[in-house]
Amino acid sequence: MQSLEKRNTAGSKISNLTFVNLAMLCVLAVIFIIASLVVPRFFNINNISNLIAQQAEIIILSIGVTFLLISGYFDMSVGGIISMAAVLSAFFCQAQGAAASDLGSGLGLSYGMAIVLTLICCMVIGALNAFLVVKLKVNSVIATLGTMALARGIAMIVAKGAQRITGLPPEFKAIGQFTIIGTINLAVVIMLVLLVAALVIENMTVFGRRIYLIGANRVAAHLSGIKVGKQISLLYVVSAFLAGVAGIVMASRFNAGNCALGTGYEFDALVVTVLGGTSIFGGFGSVTCAVVGAFILGILSTSVNMLGFQPSMQMLVKGFVIITAILALRFALDKRNV
Amino acid sequence: MNLVKKISWKSTIKNLYVLSVLILIVAIFSSVSIKFIEGPNIINIMRQSVPLLLVGTAVTLLMISGNIDLSVGGILGLTSVIFSLLVKAQLGYLVSTLLTLALGIFLGYINGFLVVRLRIVPVIATLATMSLCIGFGKLLSPGGIGLIKGLPDSIIRFARSPFLLGLPISFYVTVLIIAVLVVLQKKTVLGKYAVAIGGNKTAAELSGINVVKTVWLLYIIVGFCSALAGIARTSLLSLGDPVTGSGIELDAMIAVVLGGTSFSGGDGSVARTIIGVLIIMCLTAGMQVIGMEPYFQSLVKGLVLIVAVVTDVLVKERIED
Repeated sequence: MQSLEKRNTAGSKISNLTFVNLAMLCVLAVIFIIASLVVPRFFNINNISNLIAQQAEIIILSIGVTFLLISGYFDMSVGGIISMAAVLSAFFCQAQGAAASDLGSGLGLSYGMAIVLTLICCMVIGALNAFLVVKLKVNSVIATLGTMALARGIAMIVAKGAQRITGLPPEFKAIGQFTIIGTINLAVVIMLVLLVAALVIENMTVFGRRIYLIGANRVAAHLSGIKVGKQISLLYVVSAFLAGVAGIVMASRFNAGNCALGTGYEFDALVVTVLGGTSIFGGFGSVTCAVVGAFILGILSTSVNMLGFQPSMQMLVKGFVIITAILALRFALDKRNV
Repeated sequence: MNLVKKISWKSTIKNLYVLSVLILIVAIFSSVSIKFIEGPNIINIMRQSVPLLLVGTAVTLLMISGNIDLSVGGILGLTSVIFSLLVKAQLGYLVSTLLTLALGIFLGYINGFLVVRLRIVPVIATLATMSLCIGFGKLLSPGGIGLIKGLPDSIIRFARSPFLLGLPISFYVTVLIIAVLVVLQKKTVLGKYAVAIGGNKTAAELSGINVVKTVWLLYIIVGFCSALAGIARTSLLSLGDPVTGSGIELDAMIAVVLGGTSFSGGDGSVARTIIGVLIIMCLTAGMQVIGMEPYFQSLVKGLVLIVAVVTDVLVKERIED
């Protein structure tokens, strides 16, 4: 008995989560060093600040996806919500009747108002997710794939299958293009604020701890008085909200409301989340995992590009990396918890 | 006895409901434009349905066992590229087809390996293989993104040129394969095992069912059917395209759910998925016939899927009361 206890704690004063975080951080460091040595012009302040800026959207997005995954639910609708947010944020603030074409004229609201309305629309999709998954108990993958198609459909109709690019107010491109230092722009600042908020919620609030309990054992969570349905509904709305923020940032970076933005992002958000060590079975993981995962994938993709491979190699890298990451992590945890 | 009666009653309601949705859709579109139910349009719909019919019915079996495959679109794309390359390399249709089908079986085998051997959650495992398939497909096509054109004219003989009653060979092959799948589901232990695994995996395991083998086999069947769908798509369009299958995983899932197959596994019907597929194809074709822009499709599909799952839940609640 004692030996068992000893074995569980001996040599491991840190929790499994800290262990995974540290392990993935080491992997990130190793990949970074290899990339700096192998890839010409990789270790260069411009490239690195670019790398950070490029991860802003995916990190904002993966906060919500991580929380849901920790509590054992999938959100595949985020890719569609990004497209919708990108197109709607443009549509709401395009000058009214300024251009002859339909695509050139929008509602003519102020940019601030446009952002608020866009985020509300996104949260409606999130609420729909919550309704389907929590109230009707539909499998979360299928329900959110449906709302993904719905959200992308709205984007495609509003942008008529193309993009809304003319008649945008000058402040539209501020978030994505206004730089503070180097290529560190407003989007990075937004990401940092959201990230800190997420870490505080995750580690220091009852709400955050409940997410883990629900993921580890939903029945136990329910029996111990947690309103599981309410909690999950809130998480779906938050996830949609964050996807909306990511979409607005992306539209601002491209200075266009393009309905093709966000394609495949539901996959990328899952990849970076799982890559960092968050368990798909729920109950285990952290937002920091997603950040580390985002940078691992970011460095790999950039390296593949800079080494002159075809862009399609990125798809291969993603596929291989995710399978390897899951297996390596499971192997490490199994060894550790024997 | 009572239970059996209840189940068959349930199944009858589902059959009637799905069929009536299809009839309603056909009625609406043909009342708007009579062209919709004219011969050429129907033949066109049937021809285009082939890939989705193959993928959807195969995925039904898999979903009955409580698993999911998001890589079908990727497999379709990769096999389309490989098949075109083989044909262009003048290996002959028979060899090309056999090699492509073998590739499909291999990809299904990989999916099964990841899911049942390495125990990676199906959603993640098959998303990863989707990414790999599309990546390889693009890598093999000219310029990394390009389409493979210049295929011999005779390639359309499989899925485009009329063979019997105006329909191409691919349609009859599909009918044959679906018949096999229906028999597999209804009359063989494989179908019963799938239901048992989807209903309660642990119970299935404890009662001696080889869960690993069964699920693995189902993934292989899906891989095979997706490869055949890839060949049919290539032949129909005489074009090899690595992303030709993107979105078919969603369509297949909509068709399966429309067909009343429970998304948590344990219950379902291959035959009803056929009607689900026809609903989707009629919707898509109908929207074209009445002149709706293609960018309405995503919204309509999303709505159909959501309405289908909601109705499924409501119908189930009614029956269980």
